[in-house]
Amino acid sequence: METNILYTHKDLVEKSKSGNRNSQYQLYELYVDAMYNISMRMLGIKEDAEDVVQESFIEAFKNIKSFRYESTFGSWLKRIVINKSINHLKLKKIPITPLDQHEYHISEEVNDPVVSNDINKIKDGIKILPNGYRQIISLYLIEGYDHIEIAEILGITTSTSKSQYHRAKKKLIEIVNTL
Amino acid sequence: MDDFEKYIVENKDVFDEHKADRSKMWNNIESSLDKDPKTIRLWRSPLLKLAASILILIGTYTTINLFITATFNHNSKNNIVHQELRDIDTYYKDLVSFQIQLVKNNPKLQPEDKEEFLSFMDELDEEYNTLKLEMAKNLNNEFILEAIVNNYKKRIELIENLLKQINDSKKSNDNESYIL
Repeated sequence: METNILYTHKDLVEKSKSGNRNSQYQLYELYVDAMYNISMRMLGIKEDAEDVVQESFIEAFKNIKSFRYESTFGSWLKRIVINKSINHLKLKKIPITPLDQHEYHISEEVNDPVVSNDINKIKDGIKILPNGYRQIISLYLIEGYDHIEIAEILGITTSTSKSQYHRAKKKLIEIVNTL
Repeated sequence: MDDFEKYIVENKDVFDEHKADRSKMWNNIESSLDKDPKTIRLWRSPLLKLAASILILIGTYTTINLFITATFNHNSKNNIVHQELRDIDTYYKDLVSFQIQLVKNNPKLQPEDKEEFLSFMDELDEEYNTLKLEMAKNLNNEFILEAIVNNYKKRIELIENLLKQINDSKKSNDNESYIL
């Protein structure tokens, strides 16, 4: 048994590398829901998310030979989905990070107490966040990327990522408190 | 990370609320993967394409160059050989015709002797012509070349003999007069 987490599903990955359609399907089955949810959180539209996930799997299987277990297969695939989602937003000219003065924002601790610790409320709150805020909250809290990675994904600086995140969090708490 | 953030992170599974339309999406993925038959694209990078083109150009140039040089060398070699042969040929021809002229012009020779000598020369001429034809067919044949040279030598020898005879008769005539 593989003890290294990087080699999760190594058998399936190796067979997929040699073009085994059945193994590719098994990998798809394992990851499709997670990838679809990631894309849904980024894009918010079912059809767009489906397109992006399909394209991502196609690209992943076409380039699977270049996958060298430097990360898990899941995080490799996830990165493809995230990048494709961001590109999709760019194509649709949806601003990924709102431009309102974020360069001058001094990060501050959110002092508003959270009224409710209801995860469903928070989920609903995230859904109605403005686009840029929703994406940075998703990337940081749910997808688990740090600010360096987010900066790389979004093509912004680390400090912009941090300040943007704090603004998004503040906005989220405001929304949750009103729900 | 504050409590609010921690709470979200701990409950992030809740956010995976959507279910993908698996079969529909897989059909699209599969048909797209099938559309691209597995081709090994060696020249995907434009740099490689460029390098390949340059290699092909160099290859073609070298081949053509080699071919041209080889033909040229061969021709020039042949030319040298031809030139040498022609030089030899003209040298002997001149020599022979000069001596024949000498014989013809010699008033001391009997007409029969002259005729005999000239018929000999004609015979050798004929032989020479056949040899020359043969040589055109096969330049590298050593025997033919040798035969040609011998043909010339015979003629020269013949002429020399004749001239010697003339001179001898002259001497004997002189001697006679001297005796007388």
